[in-house]
Amino acid sequence: MSFMGFVLSAVAVASALGVVFNRNPLYSAFHLIVNLLAMAGVYSVLDAHFLAVTQVVVYAGAIMVLVLFVLMLLNLKAGSGRKLGIFRPLCAIAVACSVVTTVYPAVESNFKDLSLHELQEKAWRSEGTVKAVGEELYGRYVRQFELSSLVLLIGIVGAVTLSKRKEGKIGPREGGLGGGK
Amino acid sequence: MELGILLIKVFVVMNVSLVLASLCTWLERKGSALIQDRVGANRAGAFVESKRWYLKPALPVIRAMGWLGVINTLMCDSLKGLWKEDFVPEGASKFLHALAPVIAVLPIMLAFAVLPLAPDFTLGGYTIHPRVAAIDGGLLFVLAMGSVAVYGVAIAGWTGNNKFSLLGALRAAAQMMSYELPMGLVFVALIVVYGTLDVYSIVEGQQKLLWGFIPMWGIVLQPVGFVVLLLAGMAETKRGPFDLPEAESELVAGYFTEYSGMKFLLFWLGEFAEIALFALLLALLFFGGWDIPWVTLPQGAWWAALIGHIVLMTKVVFFCVLQIVIRWTLPRFRYDQLMNMGWKMLLPVALANLVITAVLKVAL
Repeated sequence: MSFMGFVLSAVAVASALGVVFNRNPLYSAFHLIVNLLAMAGVYSVLDAHFLAVTQVVVYAGAIMVLVLFVLMLLNLKAGSGRKLGIFRPLCAIAVACSVVTTVYPAVESNFKDLSLHELQEKAWRSEGTVKAVGEELYGRYVRQFELSSLVLLIGIVGAVTLSKRKEGKIGPREGGLGGGK
Repeated sequence: MELGILLIKVFVVMNVSLVLASLCTWLERKGSALIQDRVGANRAGAFVESKRWYLKPALPVIRAMGWLGVINTLMCDSLKGLWKEDFVPEGASKFLHALAPVIAVLPIMLAFAVLPLAPDFTLGGYTIHPRVAAIDGGLLFVLAMGSVAVYGVAIAGWTGNNKFSLLGALRAAAQMMSYELPMGLVFVALIVVYGTLDVYSIVEGQQKLLWGFIPMWGIVLQPVGFVVLLLAGMAETKRGPFDLPEAESELVAGYFTEYSGMKFLLFWLGEFAEIALFALLLALLFFGGWDIPWVTLPQGAWWAALIGHIVLMTKVVFFCVLQIVIRWTLPRFRYDQLMNMGWKMLLPVALANLVITAVLKVAL
């Protein structure tokens, strides 16, 4: 990885610490945005431009805007959260350890015999990373891809069902462009 | 040499975006005066006198520019912004207050980096691609930068530390998120039609003729997509009939209520750069970019690239004027109308457009 890659990684780590240690939830959210953008930068240094752009569109551009929206709507004051006990940090550490121990062997076994340079070569040879990602997603991993889209669909249906108002209660004002109902 | 070419390209692209933005500023000031039957800015520099002999030939030009309001809008306004007091509201984070206008401008300027401004040409043995970054997925990059620009507005509204700013920021965030969806779906339909995410290849795909006589422009192949993108893009720029985030009759000035001086002007610069960016996108994606119908220019000649650039910029200026005319013609929407239009009208139409496009692409 180049010099830029190390700088971006340092920014990512620092902002991740900022997410955890900030007392104000809004500042935590800002740090998370910086973290996601830095990760996108790391992807693009590794020539995974499509992944980088997708990261910005989906996480930094859509999900974090929603998070920020909710935090601004609630208008929380700094340090209004409950005091941390000993139980929560232990839980967090356990989850972090389990994620690392699950992900790391998978990453290592897949890329053990490939150097970073070879990976980049592969990406360039397949006429840009968009095509490479598309071929992997809709070729080798098509079942996993479709299954995860099914999970997302279930999530959407669940969210709509939970947030639906009961009939007869006060709803949003009718009579908009579509003439309401 | 490579680095030199890159630096020149960065300089040119930055200047194109800034010049287009300032042109939009002038068009807005003088155009709104024309539409509202006013005179508009016509004083600064209009009566300039000088006894120096070397300034004599320039005087008529300066006077004409003053009479047309160019000097007033481009020089006096920005100088006034620089000299005004820079006010930071009490209790606001100084850093975030200064950061917000930068985030409102920077992503828009960055988006210009992936858009081609002329066809490729050769000069002195070097093949020059007139865009700064030739990443694949350039269209997605524009979308990404558009969604990052929301943060400028959101942070500005929050650091304003008052209800009007916050309400304006919330409105802006909701509006920009809602209208990003149909915009993205139109982009996907275009990608399906031309089979590429690269803006340059999309423009090249439009140079051919359909059945030998109709130019294969985006507007011919994706008429519904064009209408959806025009509406969604105008909502993204938060202007005119869609300027709910800064509705002055309800919210004072919305998210930038607490901004003054140059920071305030930066928000305006971002807005006008966004107009220019959107006009450039429309010209590139739907109106053939530098294509003149039924005319084939030689590939790679520098003068052909220059003609292509002028043709493209003519189209861009046309769309800037169109947006400004729409902004000064139509009254503001109500907020529920805005949301209904985004979610109940544009989104289903964009989805149907995408499905029909995909089916036709497979069938034909």
